[in-house]
Amino acid sequence: MARLQLKNVVKSYGIHEAVRGVSLDIDDKEFVVFVGPSGCGKSTTLRMIAGLEHISGGEILIGDRVVNRLGPGQRDIAMVFQNYALYPHMTVAENIAFCLEQQRLPKPEIAARIAAAAETLHITELLERRPAQLSGGQRQRVAMGRAIVRNPKVFLFDEPLSNLDAKLRVKMRTEIKRLHKLLPTTTVYVTHDQVEAMTMADRVVVMNRGIVEQMGEPQQLYLAPASKFVAGFIGSPSMNFLPARLVAEGDALHILLDDGTRLAVPAARAATLGRHAGTAVTFGIRPESIGPRQDRPGWAPLDAAIDLVEPLGATTMIYFNTGSSSLCASLNSEGAPKAGMTMPLSINMTQMHLFDPQTERSLTA
Amino acid sequence: MTRPAPALAPAATSGPSVTDRLGYSAYFLVALLLAIIFLMPIVWSFANSFKPAAEALANPVALFSKAFSLENYRRLENVGAGWYVYAANSVAIALGTVLLTILISVPAGYGFSKFRFPGQSLIFMVVMATMMIPFQSILTPLFLVLKILGLQNSLFGLVLVYTTFQLPFSIFMMRNAFDAVPGALIEAARIDGASQWTLVRRIMLPLALPGAATVAMFAFLNAWNEFLAALIFLSDQTKFTLPIMLVNVSSGIYGIIDWGALQAGITLTMVPCILLFLLLQRYYVRGLTAGAVK
Ligand SMILES: Nc1ncnc2c1ncn2[C@@H]1O[C@H](COP(=O)(O)OP(=O)(O)O)[C@@H](O)[C@H]1O
Ligand SMILES: [Mg+2]
Repeated sequence: MARLQLKNVVKSYGIHEAVRGVSLDIDDKEFVVFVGPSGCGKSTTLRMIAGLEHISGGEILIGDRVVNRLGPGQRDIAMVFQNYALYPHMTVAENIAFCLEQQRLPKPEIAARIAAAAETLHITELLERRPAQLSGGQRQRVAMGRAIVRNPKVFLFDEPLSNLDAKLRVKMRTEIKRLHKLLPTTTVYVTHDQVEAMTMADRVVVMNRGIVEQMGEPQQLYLAPASKFVAGFIGSPSMNFLPARLVAEGDALHILLDDGTRLAVPAARAATLGRHAGTAVTFGIRPESIGPRQDRPGWAPLDAAIDLVEPLGATTMIYFNTGSSSLCASLNSEGAPKAGMTMPLSINMTQMHLFDPQTERSLTA
Repeated sequence: MTRPAPALAPAATSGPSVTDRLGYSAYFLVALLLAIIFLMPIVWSFANSFKPAAEALANPVALFSKAFSLENYRRLENVGAGWYVYAANSVAIALGTVLLTILISVPAGYGFSKFRFPGQSLIFMVVMATMMIPFQSILTPLFLVLKILGLQNSLFGLVLVYTTFQLPFSIFMMRNAFDAVPGALIEAARIDGASQWTLVRRIMLPLALPGAATVAMFAFLNAWNEFLAALIFLSDQTKFTLPIMLVNVSSGIYGIIDWGALQAGITLTMVPCILLFLLLQRYYVRGLTAGAVK
């Protein structure tokens, strides 16, 4: 049971800074997911929390204790590795017992705790097997068994599902969540998969190039991304970005796209954006915020010459060009157009996002 | 085209085709022939060692003799100080070499594999480079060194020499064995709270065991079979090893070769090697390929 704090944590490899000042405050029992593209420093941050990497700068606190100088064995954490890292020469039971033996617990207690952990994870009948005799999903469970049996302050997961096939991944995803409900423990979970992040997290930390772009609840990241990077990373398919200008006409504001299309900004949002009038902006709109033509306040019309149609079952993705940019829209499959057709569309401008083209920070969040 | 499964099923149950079976038979015959070629010398030595001395000399080709006899082995007792003295020396030297080689190469390989220190690759290269030096070419300086140390004509001195020449290969072997242990396992053990010592004893060593078995095996065989250095560095009759005894048997008194006694000596010399190989072979094969496939 512990709060986990990172204060301006830095990791450099020679002159290369892999993590450039990460500050986080993770509550007791919270399930936090680090997400970001490959190489952004997620694993490095996690490994600094675990004590597997030396911390180049800043402070890490578990509970109220600064752990910078503690070895991984003294931090009271448990970690599940991407390739599970089960000891191949030991049985499942011995794998799970190993950490308890290091704590010099009495034999009967070790046996009882192994039995309880095995029960929780439904691996009781696997206890006498060796890792080589297990399937990927079973190994995953054993790795989690090894983590929960010691009842640590913090659970760390580094892309634990990336070696499983798609179906099993979805199943294990829900099981990890279920386990967290059952044994509420502070958890940091690293993934590059934004769907995993959105579905599992209490709060998501989006990382990019060694910094935290944004931390927040999944829905908040989706609705109010703080930067163009977060907006593009969270949500599938990705948000559309178009170069544009914000122009004022009397009290009203318009988005002027580079092909001359004018999209009216709803009055409710115009108030806060007025000070950016006359500047270049990046206009962002999610595929879900574009629909068939409708005559409602807040929706702006747009005609689309459809290039490509991708039916996905319930929804259909359509692709079309506006000026120099390609756009994607997600429509209900009923009444979806065919490629080559021109279709009258509308954009839900209440859900638009604007970004500063230089800093890429959001002007609307 | 639409149902390949039923078409395949009968073929699968009717066993291998005629050409498959022919191919297999040919393969078996060739393998058998090769095995016979390699095994015959051993079988002959073994068979002759149990014939009466006269028969071994008169008719060495016959594999079986009606007269089973331990005469040859008894005569070995009269060679020099007796065969058991030489066997005991050989065992002491071989086991000493194994022990010392393991004691040094396991920690050295671990160090080269899992720690980073200044001059690491240079030191490793120098250690490996000594493999290029032919043993025979430095016998004289070695003799001088042992003399200065007061270790000439000493079994321990010989163990030191053998160990020295065993080390480059052994360190290389152990480094590879430890390299093959995934880093994540070590990290998992550290998170589990294992001390450096527990880590080595419970995780690293069991996983590097095939490598260590290979190293032990080579050290044993090389020390057991070595002749030249033993001949040069040992001068006491009572300190000789089995290979030296074999030469003494074969050059016999008056230049007559006692074939029966020689075969008995060869058999005695071979048996421990064969037993050791059979005992360690599952490790040995895994050790040589460790890290080759992931
Ligand atoms: N041991 C190392 N030495 C040098 N650079 C490293 C090392 N480990 C990681 N890096 C670099 O640090 C950056 C972040 O890596 P990592 O945290 O593994 O990314 P990811 O977000 O994919 O987990 C990458 O650019 C990587 O190349
Ligand atoms: Mg990673």
